[in-house]
Amino acid sequence: MLLAEDNPADADLILASLTKDGFAGAIQVVRDGVETLDFALCRGKYADRDPRLCMRVIVLDVKLPKIDGFEVLRELKSDPRTRSIPVVMHTSSNIDSDVARAYHLGASSYVQKPVDFERFRRTVRDIGVYWMTVNEAAPEWSIPADCSK
Amino acid sequence: MKKPRKIHVSFGPAKADTVAVPMRAFTPRDSPLLDALMHDENVHQLLDSRGDYAIFMLDAKGYVGSWNRGAQQIKGYSRVEVIGQHFSVFYPPEDRTRGKPERDLDIAAREGRFEEEGKCVRKDGSEFWGNIVLSAVRDRTGALAGFVKVTRDLTERRGAQERALADDKALKAVNAELEAFTYSVSHDLRAPIRQIEGFSRILAEHLGTSADQEVSHCLRRIQEGSRQMGRLVDDLLQLAQLGRQDAKRHRISLDSLIRDVLANLRTETAGRDIEWRLEPLPPVVCDSGLMHVLFTNLLSNAVKYTRTRQKAVIEIGHLVKDRELVIYIRDNGVGFDMKYADKLFGVFQRLHRAEEFEGTGVGLATVQRIIRKHGGTIWGEAVPDGGATFFFTLGGATATPAN
Repeated sequence: MLLAEDNPADADLILASLTKDGFAGAIQVVRDGVETLDFALCRGKYADRDPRLCMRVIVLDVKLPKIDGFEVLRELKSDPRTRSIPVVMHTSSNIDSDVARAYHLGASSYVQKPVDFERFRRTVRDIGVYWMTVNEAAPEWSIPADCSK
Repeated sequence: MKKPRKIHVSFGPAKADTVAVPMRAFTPRDSPLLDALMHDENVHQLLDSRGDYAIFMLDAKGYVGSWNRGAQQIKGYSRVEVIGQHFSVFYPPEDRTRGKPERDLDIAAREGRFEEEGKCVRKDGSEFWGNIVLSAVRDRTGALAGFVKVTRDLTERRGAQERALADDKALKAVNAELEAFTYSVSHDLRAPIRQIEGFSRILAEHLGTSADQEVSHCLRRIQEGSRQMGRLVDDLLQLAQLGRQDAKRHRISLDSLIRDVLANLRTETAGRDIEWRLEPLPPVVCDSGLMHVLFTNLLSNAVKYTRTRQKAVIEIGHLVKDRELVIYIRDNGVGFDMKYADKLFGVFQRLHRAEEFEGTGVGLATVQRIIRKHGGTIWGEAVPDGGATFFFTLGGATATPAN
């Protein structure tokens, strides 16, 4: 799971919620829009990343510094290397226009972060369980072997 | 017939753009009818009784032949000063150069009457907004004898109108700002509030059973406090969000909407003995999203305030009052004192103690806002410990019930 979350305390809470009952899978945390794309596309800071380590899901906050969540989403969906990875918008806003825009740009899911912690924890766990174990991710061969282009 | 002399006189302070207005003596031979009217005692009394209307006569050419108290008050001229003057002196200079006074007289002569609201000029040169009526007076042969002019000073009314418009605009701007502020503050508060509750929760779990009573107690209080803050912030967000949207209008069946709301209230109704008396409601024209919020608030209130009852009875029905559809939600809960009924819909206003019934005091304010957006009204009736009923209409957006 690639987790794009700029708020460190929220990132802590998400990690704590996921690992509480033993989470199956690795979680990579990135803190801003540029870092998100760098990781996903094996470039910049992550140019040496092993491209065969594929992401089963990208959890994206709308509010990200440098490049915001919508821009990141747009780029992820326009690049053939990342187009088929499901993106879950995990954000504070629930304004209709934001939800519509996210789906229009190709998000697979939109979840508003609950303010109540218990619900937040349950929601994060549900997202983790569903996308990491229930959902069928795109098979590896759909990612071109050469990832460093 | 002696030719009347033309005298040019200017009144008031000399101004560069003053238009010289011809003046002449008003001779009775010009119009016996007008002359008779002017000298009639009863007419005089009637005219002078109206201090707020300028009522005076003009001859066929527009020269002032009579004056009343109201005219003096409104226009500033005394009788001796104005009699014989041409009535165009009451028009602003730009209208005089364009020949407007003569045109207005023409219209009055042709159609019998001319009325308009426009700028008028007083003796001291100051302008005011007035309602002017020029009525043609004809004698028995049908010949034009002159005119009666009635002027009403609209300054106060216009001033009041303009003030009301300005106030309304200012109020709307302040409200919009307040809502935007509420929205952004509530929005930004969500994360820190969640974090306070979250970390104290994790801490409590980490300490587990080994934590001493005092520590557990404190952590619990921290969590409760943040949960309350969270509810408040979410409710405020909902309230502020309402201001941003207009109510959409679709014809929908409220019955399926209510079933949906009840399904969402499952956690609150779990373990409770509640009898739901749901009467089928006629379809209404309204915004389904907003109605969803409305019923969620009203029904969760009904569920909450019937907690003290062994068996709660909550009914939803409708009736017709003054040919308007009224929907009501009635419960057999703790009710409230009608003495405080006007506080029901105030933001943060609560009629019960927090220890008895938790709440944010925003729910009913939200409900009222939704009803207002639909152009309807909402009111509550209750008896302490005797249940409560909330009635509401949806204004013009309601379909007439099929009887």
